Amino acid sequence: MVVTQKREEKHLVLTLEGRLDTTTAPQLEEVLKSSLGGVTHLTLDLAKLVYVSSAGLRVILGAQKQMSKLDGMVVKNVNETVMDVFEVTGFKEILTLE
Amino acid sequence: MISVKHLSKVFGDTTVLKDVNAEIQRGEVISIIGPSGTGKSTFLRCLNLLERPTGGEVTIDGINLLDRKTDVYKLRQKMGMVFQSFNLFSHLMVVENIMLGPVNLLGSGRQEAFEDAMRLLATVGLAEKAYAYPDELSGGQKQRVAIARTLAMHPEIVLFDEPTSALDPTMVSEVLSVVRKLADEGMTMMVVTHEMKFARDVSTRVFFMDQGIIYEEGSPKQIFEEPKRERTRGFINKIRTYLFEIRSRTFDFYAMNSGIEEFGRKQMLTPKQINNIQLVTEELLMNQLLTKGGDAVDIDVNVGYAEESGEVALTLTYGGSLFNPLEGDGSDEDLSVLIVKRVARMSKWESDAGRNKLRVIL
Repeated sequence: MVVTQKREEKHLVLTLEGRLDTTTAPQLEEVLKSSLGGVTHLTLDLAKLVYVSSAGLRVILGAQKQMSKLDGMVVKNVNETVMDVFEVTGFKEILTLE
Repeated sequence: MISVKHLSKVFGDTTVLKDVNAEIQRGEVISIIGPSGTGKSTFLRCLNLLERPTGGEVTIDGINLLDRKTDVYKLRQKMGMVFQSFNLFSHLMVVENIMLGPVNLLGSGRQEAFEDAMRLLATVGLAEKAYAYPDELSGGQKQRVAIARTLAMHPEIVLFDEPTSALDPTMVSEVLSVVRKLADEGMTMMVVTHEMKFARDVSTRVFFMDQGIIYEEGSPKQIFEEPKRERTRGFINKIRTYLFEIRSRTFDFYAMNSGIEEFGRKQMLTPKQINNIQLVTEELLMNQLLTKGGDAVDIDVNVGYAEESGEVALTLTYGGSLFNPLEGDGSDEDLSVLIVKRVARMSKWESDAGRNKLRVIL
């Protein structure tokens, strides 16, 4: 998985490309840990994310919890496959999707 | 009529028949089915000594076939054989091909043999081809002549070794309908065949051969509708499988996933189906079996795709204490269990000889 970061002042955009699974979720967790300092609004761009499993969902949920205390988190460009997983797990209701 | 006990046949280093046991009664029609190379034809050929068995016992009407004192030629006359290739003499007319055996081996008179041949040709629907030469006939017609030739020897049992395998699909049914007619007349027959519909409709019993033994036998209904054993089920439902063994917690997750992907593509599964197999496999392995299952790591991952029904099934067989990861009322389920339950159409856990077996239909 490739994670690309784009920061505009207090707004961070993370673009995820590839598979967010057991083996790659720690990578996203690490990026979040090291980059969220001073960030009040987070956008996850999932246009190129082709797969997500519960390991990835846990990291996304962690970020959501953290950002909800601030200006929030938006998840955008979710493709059908990933949306299916959001749906069956109820994440579709929890997350702010664009 | 025929009793087979512990029959084995070894060719060089290859054991084709390991331990075949069977009892065949008069009037039975037995279809022998199974994957290629499992000894079906060899079994048939051992029954009339076209192949000499390496071990075991074959008794026909109480006479031991393998006894040196047994008159094999006489015993063989009781058994006709129809081969994949028709083996007709091309320089003889159809009727002469049929008369050859009775006149030369049974000592029948020419007139008697001729009348019998004409009767048999009528039975197989080829009376008008009596004076034709084999080269003027289609494959299906040649095979019907070959059947008439076998019947001319008045056998008590006819062994068919893949009688339609060398034929164009359009000619298969004309040959099978002749075999079907013989079955209706009460002829004892053993048929090695890949024609499943035929085996299902015509047989009184079906032998499923695999790994050099009769792996499962039963009525056509039993074998085709309720096969008891895994390999029979796999063969009947044309199940293609992908296997991956996990013996360590640090197993190659990437290799497993790309194996599933390659398998799925080969079976023309949709990307969504492939994705779901990978998802359910990952959730069960990484968040359940490898974390909660405890001690030893001994997991077999089997992805099966049934060509006929289109069903995709993931079967995980694992050692350790009995543990069903999908058990529970759903109140405090974690994400991974939720995903599996929502994506799966059905799941079943059982203890199979002390090992856990979790089958998830996707």
